[in-house]
Amino acid sequence: MILFVVILALLAAGVVAWASERLSKDAPRLVSIVAFGAGLIWSAALWLDGADAGGLYAAMDWPWIARFGIHLALEMDGLSLLMVALTMFLGIVAVVSSWDEIESGHGFFQFNILWVMAGVVGVFTAMDLLLFFFFWEVMLIPMYLLIAIWGHEEKAYASMKFFLFTQISGLLMLFAILALVYVHHGATGEITFSYKALLGTEIDPRIATWLMLGFFVAFATKLPSVPVHTWLPDAHTQAPTAGSVILAGILLKTGAYGIIRFAVPLFPEASADFALWAMLLGTVSILYGGAMAFSQSDFKRLVAYSSIAHMGFILLGVYAFNELGMQGAIVTMVAHGFSTAALFMMAGAIQQRLHTREMSEMGGLWTHAPRMGTMTLFFVIASVGMPGLGNFVGEFLALLGAFQENWLMAVVATAGIVVAAVYGLYLMQRSFQGTPNPDIASMRDFGLREMSVMAAMMAGLVWVGIYPQHVLELSNATIQTLGVLP
Amino acid sequence: MLEYLWLVPALPLAGFFALFVTEGRLPDKIVAVIGAGSVGLAALVALGAGMEFVESGEASYAQVLWTWMAVGTFTPSITLYLDPLSLVMTGVITGVGFLIHLYATGYMWKDHEEPEGLSRFFAYMNLFVFAMLMLVLGDNLLVLFLGWEGVGLCSYLLIGFYHRDPENGYAARKAFVVTRVGDTLMAIGLFLLFRELGSLDIQTALGDAGGLDAGMATAIGLLLLGGAVGKSAQVPLQTWLPDAMAGPTPVSALIHAATMVTAGVYLIARMKGIYDLAPIAQLAVAIVGLVTLFISSFTALTQTDIKRILAYSTMSQIGYMFMALGVGAWSAGIFHLMTHAFFKALLFLASGSVILALHHEQDITKMGGLWRKLPVPFASMLIGSIALVAVPLTSGFYSKDAILLTAWEHDTGPWFWAGGVLAALMTALYTTRMMVVAFLGETKTESHDASRINMWGPLVVLAMLSIGGGWLTFSVLDDLLGAIDHIPHTHPAALVTVVLPLLGILLGYFVFSGRMNVNSLVESSLGGALRRFWQSGWAFDWVYDRAFVKPFLWVARVNKGDVVDLLFRITAAVTRGLHHIGALTQTGRLRWYAANMAIGLIVVVLIVASV
Repeated sequence: MILFVVILALLAAGVVAWASERLSKDAPRLVSIVAFGAGLIWSAALWLDGADAGGLYAAMDWPWIARFGIHLALEMDGLSLLMVALTMFLGIVAVVSSWDEIESGHGFFQFNILWVMAGVVGVFTAMDLLLFFFFWEVMLIPMYLLIAIWGHEEKAYASMKFFLFTQISGLLMLFAILALVYVHHGATGEITFSYKALLGTEIDPRIATWLMLGFFVAFATKLPSVPVHTWLPDAHTQAPTAGSVILAGILLKTGAYGIIRFAVPLFPEASADFALWAMLLGTVSILYGGAMAFSQSDFKRLVAYSSIAHMGFILLGVYAFNELGMQGAIVTMVAHGFSTAALFMMAGAIQQRLHTREMSEMGGLWTHAPRMGTMTLFFVIASVGMPGLGNFVGEFLALLGAFQENWLMAVVATAGIVVAAVYGLYLMQRSFQGTPNPDIASMRDFGLREMSVMAAMMAGLVWVGIYPQHVLELSNATIQTLGVLP
Repeated sequence: MLEYLWLVPALPLAGFFALFVTEGRLPDKIVAVIGAGSVGLAALVALGAGMEFVESGEASYAQVLWTWMAVGTFTPSITLYLDPLSLVMTGVITGVGFLIHLYATGYMWKDHEEPEGLSRFFAYMNLFVFAMLMLVLGDNLLVLFLGWEGVGLCSYLLIGFYHRDPENGYAARKAFVVTRVGDTLMAIGLFLLFRELGSLDIQTALGDAGGLDAGMATAIGLLLLGGAVGKSAQVPLQTWLPDAMAGPTPVSALIHAATMVTAGVYLIARMKGIYDLAPIAQLAVAIVGLVTLFISSFTALTQTDIKRILAYSTMSQIGYMFMALGVGAWSAGIFHLMTHAFFKALLFLASGSVILALHHEQDITKMGGLWRKLPVPFASMLIGSIALVAVPLTSGFYSKDAILLTAWEHDTGPWFWAGGVLAALMTALYTTRMMVVAFLGETKTESHDASRINMWGPLVVLAMLSIGGGWLTFSVLDDLLGAIDHIPHTHPAALVTVVLPLLGILLGYFVFSGRMNVNSLVESSLGGALRRFWQSGWAFDWVYDRAFVKPFLWVARVNKGDVVDLLFRITAAVTRGLHHIGALTQTGRLRWYAANMAIGLIVVVLIVASV
């Protein structure tokens, strides 16, 4: 019940935010902040309360279209709670990061942010495959609008590309869902979209492989993995800052979540047979994404490509099929949410101040804005994988887990941490270090509003970096019940 | 005091934190007090804890702080582990570290680009000391790795401290990336170690290491050596260290001479249990040491930048330490690590005073006759130099002799001894050259020594340690690493070992003061080519540039647009093309539609009829 209320509340807050624009241009974003803040407090309260005997924090199951066995089934276990809390937190970050950026349509902008996030919460809690697909679509449209309306120079191209990639791969997933329900019906005579009912379905191995691929392609596109990654650099670069923060921080994680929750548990054997290929895709993503990041001259595009590299660790860890790898993937989801959101926020702040994303037009910005320099340095270091910060824990565990299964793949992937250092430090050099660009007379440094968000994200990374146990315990409950580990 | 061991790393961390959160708004005096004071206090706590530890007579002391992470059977804990080896390292890091911090309060006082520069400098320095302490005190290889990466980060930050000059940024990135190549090998070593032994706890893993088969032990040993080679600037990952001299001189003294670059030596000594099982890996350690020793001492002879001479000298001295570990002179290697920390820190700090007095002139050929003008730096350099050359009774003599005289008895024959002695001759030559060219002869530049007590105080203390540091009877490591045990000094080989460096000094003096003319030799075509080859650091940079850097840059340039996207762009273009072709049929002319309809109808009828 409460889960449904939360999703409805986010949707309602979107409408209120839109309507409140008449009061003042600050009203819509205050509505958003309050909504996400309340959501964050609610998730913290659930966490402190602890799970019930079944490992759930909240659950509901209402019939929706009874004839087809479709339910409004929502459940929140450890992994869901973790991801929902991250969603709420990054919602606040997104709103703050676009504070001065948006010039028109404040109300509708916040409406879209809130609706994306409502869809995301649904995705993270849905226990019915059709409901899941429904929320999958709910988050797509507002995100498309965020890019198409408030994006930068090539917003039309980028938003269309984002839409098509997601939509086409989503269609494959829909086919796979329907086929799975059909197969289940053939075996049991029952029509149901219930995740739990479908979990143990006996499927002919050849068919199972195709169905698994239907899910996998949708999730790998969202993640994204090479070779279906090319929507991401365009979408990120063109999106307004809030859009990039949401995309990188949370939407990519829905792909990872989908793999962990659906693709693997629904088709364990097919996934196990596919594991080598998935690990290979992960490894290629790590190296190719890193090399591509280095190639870029656009600050934001560089960060976008670095996300592809980081997401590679998730594929590598999940398909190692052991606890280490799986936990590594999940910690990477959380840590990458913080570190990349912060870097996109930085990219947005620089663009707003200098009206460019080209690093050749930056240089020596530290002199003007030491705080921004320090913050960039911190998050670059985090994403380079410095021990003591969250990303290291995730990537180290993922690699350690992968090494147990396939040492050669892990060894090749480990080379990715050298590439990460190359592009990360180059980003730092070209933007904040080096000879100050004489064309830049001054640049406003971060103030209290930006610094409080940055401080929160730094604290998050240090927390996950030196005591990841809270995250690990939450996700462990899920991992143990998913039945994906041997 | 032992229960306060955690304070030793915590104090510098607190110093870092205080400087970080105040964002450079503290007055410089307070910054200096926090920066140097936190390390000084850590040194005092370390001293107290160390004395209590030695008195207790225990073999080790462990302080569990918390479990870092727990995933299945992988439960690395953050535990501080004090044993004689980590005690020696902690002493060097906090003791020498404090002296260098104290010196830096003078050296850096006006020497920063921004108002908050001093605060940023000490923040990085304190963070470095913290990371270095975690490296040596961590009881788990993952904690060691935390320190390992942390010191690499601080090294990067401090090499590039003067960030407005892009060349400093380049040097900093080069240091980070090249050492990270080694770190990657080390990480793989950790994965393998965990897979084979099920734990990264050093004591647990070493305790179970007996079960390793020789091949695995060798693989692990070589992978860890890969990490050590990167961090300690040994061949083939040595190329970053000379460029790292772009950092402020106290940084060179602390990070690139006394502590961080010796981390590789520590790692190998710490993992002795693995190398005991892997003689091939241990031999590789010795060979790496010998090769580095050789290459770098020849290169040092051709450099003109005083800091680069010292950098190559550091590489070669660490080469001695590697060789020591490789030939089984474990304790002697750590002994040399300690004495080297004394005299090389002294040499760097004294050269820093010279550089400051000459307004950032680092080229020794532009110096000359400085001994009169700069008596304290000169005396310090001289003391550091004789310790470096291993003149009898100085600290360097005891430690270096212990290594060479053990090497004499190595299983493969006296080859390591011979290489080491020849390099010792080269050490004498390049050191004498540096001293003669910079301090004797005619005065060529204006200089004025502005150093105050916080600068020459540390010089005096380090000078005393450089002389007397060898008289400490170095037996604390006997139980852990084996006692120093080598051929007696009455042996003929020992005589050669002692005398050759002295001959080197004489020879160097005559050659470089111009009393002996060797121009014909130097200017011959072979001599010139050799000199250029040595000067380039044996062309390693040239090779790496062509083998790795250029190809990577080329790929990055040609693939900027992402070749994978072509697939989708082509799909889009084809779709659009089809759309245009289809659109062509929409002419709006009725006759055209009617004709098409008729043709279509005929085709359909034909198909139906033919079936």
